[in-house]
Amino acid sequence: MERIIVCIKGVPRPGTVKVDPETHTLKRESAELILNPPDRAALEMAMRLRERYGVEVVVMSMGPPNVAPLLKEAFALGADELILLSDRAFAGADTLATSRVLAQAIRGLTPFSLVIMGLKSVDGETAQVPPETAAILNLPSVINVIDISYSNNRFYLTRETNYGEEELEVEPPLIISMNPKLEYFRPPSLKRLLQARDLSFKSMTAQDLNLAEDLLGLKGSPTQVAGVFEKVFSQRGEVWKGEPEELADKLINLLREKGLLQKLALINR
Amino acid sequence: MHNLIIAFGEVYQNKINPASLEILTPLWEISRALQKGLSLLILTDNFSKLDEDIDLKKALCDEILVVENRELAEFKDDLYSKVISSVITHLNPYGVFFPATLQGMALAPRVAGELGVGLCAHVNALELEDDKLIMIRPTYGDNIMAKLFSKSFPIMATLSLGAFSIREKGEKPIIKKFDLPEDFDWSSKIRVKKLKATKKEMNRLSVAKVVVAGGLGLKSRENFQKLFDLAEALGGEVGATRPVCHAGWVEEDRMIGVSGVSVKPKLYLGFGISGAIQHTVGMENSEFIIAINTDEGAPLIKMAHISLIGDAEKILDYLLKRLK
Repeated sequence: MERIIVCIKGVPRPGTVKVDPETHTLKRESAELILNPPDRAALEMAMRLRERYGVEVVVMSMGPPNVAPLLKEAFALGADELILLSDRAFAGADTLATSRVLAQAIRGLTPFSLVIMGLKSVDGETAQVPPETAAILNLPSVINVIDISYSNNRFYLTRETNYGEEELEVEPPLIISMNPKLEYFRPPSLKRLLQARDLSFKSMTAQDLNLAEDLLGLKGSPTQVAGVFEKVFSQRGEVWKGEPEELADKLINLLREKGLLQKLALINR
Repeated sequence: MHNLIIAFGEVYQNKINPASLEILTPLWEISRALQKGLSLLILTDNFSKLDEDIDLKKALCDEILVVENRELAEFKDDLYSKVISSVITHLNPYGVFFPATLQGMALAPRVAGELGVGLCAHVNALELEDDKLIMIRPTYGDNIMAKLFSKSFPIMATLSLGAFSIREKGEKPIIKKFDLPEDFDWSSKIRVKKLKATKKEMNRLSVAKVVVAGGLGLKSRENFQKLFDLAEALGGEVGATRPVCHAGWVEEDRMIGVSGVSVKPKLYLGFGISGAIQHTVGMENSEFIIAINTDEGAPLIKMAHISLIGDAEKILDYLLKRLK
């Protein structure tokens, strides 16, 4: 097996989000970033494959320089190499402009067998970047993977679909997104956490990646925000106050009036 | 050029997924206003197997566009996206839309990436402004909705599940076979070994008459589980907010809102839910809303027809005690 690449993302710690009033995109530089929670499953799966198959794991992230601590977290989990993809020109990117950057960086790490990402980020919640990056690289993609094994140059994947669990055999290289639920996540190694403090790692710009600026960031994003509006809800209902028990009784009376307790009456009878 | 709108018709076990019929409703309105055709695109190994599907005969579209090949018997992400990209390249549609099912979410970004066009995710309303298509979805911040547009063609988006209701059409749509070029490469890097069909019944959240939903205000997974008892007593389904799903209190298929399902029950009961817009876009069309929360200023309290100001956990406990 060739190397495994994991793409991770820094997302604003809830409550620290600031939005650019003009472009309506997130101001990531000003936010306190945490590792996108679903990416933990991507890292964990990569580390399991690293142990099982003795394969190198490269972890990369596109974002402002303040994502560096998150890359160091990945190092403490066992990553062999870290790459920061950072350039003002990347700011405000939609999923296509983001996928272009990731695709180019991934291409530069050929030969690789597998790219793992989290199912989605908890800020944008689109889940689009893994398949979109794969399509740009003309590679197969599989989303919402819950298990992986490898033998005879084939990956055996289980994915969760709307219809059940599906088992697939896929020819590498490929890009997958991991379902966030795993029963176990390893803790970071203390020794590696200490090593990570003074660790320096590669940082790449648009120029390093040989990417034309008009395909990047806000400018290179075909989807744009035309405007935002606030949904205003006017107070329209009754407000009940009182002791919990009293409120519960009042609610039961209301549900009974509305004929919603019939089913219960049948059960009790 | 750009005189057609395409909706992806997801098929499983020779039946159209209702989510694909839902998205036809807003697309039909848009296609009439812009005087464009509306096609439901179906990829299958044998279209005659779908003959029995009555829902498909009532689909709200001008035509059903069928690509038929034995390699399409199973869903293979790379092959399916190549087929759709090829159809798009030949027909040059104005827009291509997918339901935000897992298959739609796997396919749409591949097609967008192959064609190098924009893609909006989990859109829950479509509007025209000066004949320009505007896609609306919640965005960062409290109660803030974003109006998005795409600078590229075809305009592409995935549309939220349950955000639109299925409407039927009187006459049967025309069925049109679409042949890909002779030299089209039908190979795939993916082989489907087996599908272990899900044993648990799919929850009926999106069509439930009563929805009992819970948020972080319920304080614990154990308290959240009590909602299932209440839902059973009321003949309803349990729904959840995004933070609750992320905390692992309940499966993500119970998430109501922007990246979950939309519900429109006769009665919605929200326990310990403040009402972030990511949740409320998925329940605002409920007929009767009851909110239970300590915070009188919470957005859901403002939306509700009746609000109970108090501790959601305690009120839920009393309710269950009384109902037993």
